[in-house]
Amino acid sequence: MSFSTGITGIQNMAPELPVQASEDLLSTPMFNLIHSFGVDLHHAESYVGKTTRMSRFERLSTEGGQLDGSGIDPASEVPVRTDIDATMEIYAKSIVTNEQVVLWENSKTLTKFTALLGQWLREKEDLLMRDLFASSVSYINATGGLNGDQPSNISLNDVNNIENILLGNDARSMLTNLEATLKFATGGVRDAFIALANTNLCADLQKVQGVLLKSAYPTQEGIRPEEYCSISRFRFFVSSKAARTPGISLKGNTIYTIPMYGLEAAAKIEQNNYTAVIGYRPPWVVSSVAQNSQLYAKFAIARAITNQNWISGLNVTTFQPS
Amino acid sequence: MPFTIVSQGTFTQPSTAVNQIIPLPSGADYFTTTNLTQMNLAPNPGVCVRGEWYGGGLTANNDGLRWKKTNSSNAINIDKFSTATASNGFTYVTSFQPPQAALTGTTITNANPAVASVTNTYSNGDQVVIYNAVGMQQISGMTFTISSVSGSQFTLLGLDASGFAAGATSFQVRRVNQFTPVEPSFLFVTKVTQAAQAQVTVSQANSVYLGQKLEFTIPGSFGMVQLNNFNQPQSLPAVVTSIVDAYNFTINVNTTNYTAFAFPASSGSPTTLLFATCAPAGQSTQFNPITGVQTGYNFTQIPFHTGQFIPYMYVPAGANSPGGSAGDVIVWQAYKMETGTINAPVPS
Repeated sequence: MSFSTGITGIQNMAPELPVQASEDLLSTPMFNLIHSFGVDLHHAESYVGKTTRMSRFERLSTEGGQLDGSGIDPASEVPVRTDIDATMEIYAKSIVTNEQVVLWENSKTLTKFTALLGQWLREKEDLLMRDLFASSVSYINATGGLNGDQPSNISLNDVNNIENILLGNDARSMLTNLEATLKFATGGVRDAFIALANTNLCADLQKVQGVLLKSAYPTQEGIRPEEYCSISRFRFFVSSKAARTPGISLKGNTIYTIPMYGLEAAAKIEQNNYTAVIGYRPPWVVSSVAQNSQLYAKFAIARAITNQNWISGLNVTTFQPS
Repeated sequence: MPFTIVSQGTFTQPSTAVNQIIPLPSGADYFTTTNLTQMNLAPNPGVCVRGEWYGGGLTANNDGLRWKKTNSSNAINIDKFSTATASNGFTYVTSFQPPQAALTGTTITNANPAVASVTNTYSNGDQVVIYNAVGMQQISGMTFTISSVSGSQFTLLGLDASGFAAGATSFQVRRVNQFTPVEPSFLFVTKVTQAAQAQVTVSQANSVYLGQKLEFTIPGSFGMVQLNNFNQPQSLPAVVTSIVDAYNFTINVNTTNYTAFAFPASSGSPTTLLFATCAPAGQSTQFNPITGVQTGYNFTQIPFHTGQFIPYMYVPAGANSPGGSAGDVIVWQAYKMETGTINAPVPS
């Protein structure tokens, strides 16, 4: 009978279980959520239908109005009301888990799945607001870039054109100014409108004349991580999920849509008591032999562009399409 | 509940058969259509009487199993929709679709309406984006509803191109979703008349409703900048006062003395500002207490809402397609396994 001699190492004595679970989960990827924080939040009551109406009175005419001393009253004016309606919709996601997963394969599974559902809630809401901006707003083709495409890549002239439109419509800026400080290579940032761009545009944003990257702001306090830069009167926030439509520019490249807006341009309406519901259905409810349990998340949302005067934006392509 | 019908229904094709979109809230692992009208007939040529679709990636887009009667007989031949002679089959849609593959066309006429020539398999009412229209770049990037579709051309009823200097000598086109993710959506404006109540033409059909308010964005290159909201008295949005037809409507704005609306020249591309658009800006309900008539509200369409429920099954019309022909009664059924998939079934 022969037998092995020598040093016993992991080469000849492999571990019985070649893997071990690290104590912490790795991060679950999540895209930047940029499409909700600049909109107004409204609440819908229960039991009064699924359509929410937001109303605004248009301003009165400033024509005439002078009294001539004759005692004749000036003509009265009938105010105009504009109603903006939005339909409440419910979205839901569930995870059904067999008891054997919990018993044998994973620890704290339900806790982890609950966190996943919570992330889904926020991501889904963000994409729904993105779709509102992409569908229901008029955009201007950028023309000031030099890539020869239609629309072109973004330029300062294009950004200024949108500022003209918003200011011409009496839009109010969204973000307060950041005062200049005595910090080397920084500059003040004016009160600003919001612009939402795809991360694929970051290289182009850096090249726009007069761009102030976030690192050059006079302060980083309170600046959101999603913010990328400031151009003219706009502060740009970026997300990998921001709107784009592939293959329809003049040269067949992807067109990116950049909503640019001020205060009260859009609204998100939450249903009272239905904003974010996460629930658990135990095994004896889900399964006749009590083997499957269910976690679910759901929320109700209505969306609306509340004032088209105060939102505009650009269609752009990138300088060097990838 | 190992495998069961999760939803089912019927539809009857109208006098002009249309492609059907069937919402499937819980998805499907297996989907069938049965043409009840044709099942007990023996037409010549034979037609598709039953279609089958398998999930899990087993069925390619625009395909499925085609049960087809042979000519003047009840004998059934089974092949795929993609088999020659190919016809449109099922497409299961689980996310908002990007524009379809590009087709290259030869001409777009500068006529009213414009007619585009391109070999295609599109259907009446489809939405397409036209781009790189050589000689007609002022419309490049616009979305159109198409009609009078044949295999070689279609008509753009929403585009009067008679004022254009020339037609397009080549172009590319992609079919896009029937609806945008959110409706009502912005629209491309192709014409505005100078009238006491201006008539507006848009490029997409049936997209505007009586009483709807709109805000116009007209670049200087299109002339009629007075229609821009910030040039209107009190910045009031325009109100739709009548629906003329699928593409035309009137607004409560007197444009008689405005600059004429006209497309810029193609040669201005890509530096000319495009496009002329209008976007939904609310609604104005009109109620006449004397006549008791209320106009100007459409609870289904005017409030902002999701444009297209997803997921859904796209069932195209056609004698050799699962959606059938005019007058056909079609039964559809969606099946699903509660656990597992068609590729990895779990006994239960």
